[in-house]
Amino acid sequence: MADIILTGDTSGAITVAAPAVAGTNTLTLPASTGTMITSATAAADVPKPTALSTASGSAPSYSARAWVNFNGTGTVAIRASGNVSSITDNGTGTYTVNFTTAMPDANYSGLITSGFASGVREDVLGFAYTDAPYAPATGTYGIKFVRADTNAAVDTNYAMVAIFR
Amino acid sequence: MNKRIVYTNDDGTVAVIVPADECGLTVEQIAAKDVPTGKEYHIVDAADIPTDRTFRDAWTWE
Repeated sequence: MADIILTGDTSGAITVAAPAVAGTNTLTLPASTGTMITSATAAADVPKPTALSTASGSAPSYSARAWVNFNGTGTVAIRASGNVSSITDNGTGTYTVNFTTAMPDANYSGLITSGFASGVREDVLGFAYTDAPYAPATGTYGIKFVRADTNAAVDTNYAMVAIFR
Repeated sequence: MNKRIVYTNDDGTVAVIVPADECGLTVEQIAAKDVPTGKEYHIVDAADIPTDRTFRDAWTWE
């Protein structure tokens, strides 16, 4: 194993160490001029990708900042989630999604989808609350599911929410 | 996480918090974060919450 050590003018050093395994790895610096990173905590200096690696075309990519898939019937339970600490069951078809880490502001976009309600073969619509006490906030997102035919609140076995910002 | 956090909303309805297993927080940490400030709450087993939701909006907590 070989190391490249850059010793500071006064103290400290940066070490680039090759792995003690077979094979060749390459550390490539960008062709553009400028400073890449000025300090260990200067996250703003780290180059930011503008698109996901799977995206084609030049349009920027925006991934979900939080998401959850839960069963709103019987024993209400979360199947899987990301950046969601919990959901609050406030009543029939009415829930609050609680974020583990808050959004930068309340101007995010929520995508709410649903499966059929249990035992009801009618369309179920999901809405975001816009009024108190469940209005969108940095840490919480209030949602409601209703039957499309009667507009009555309804529990749904597949409730899915994704947050983009 | 087979626990639930129960408290009463301002309008008298019962709120039941369902913790997310994948969030990395304990149920106590979730309660501290997600229960509205000043609300009295109880941590209970999920099995203590009724599964028949026919009259969900009429639930009370004692």
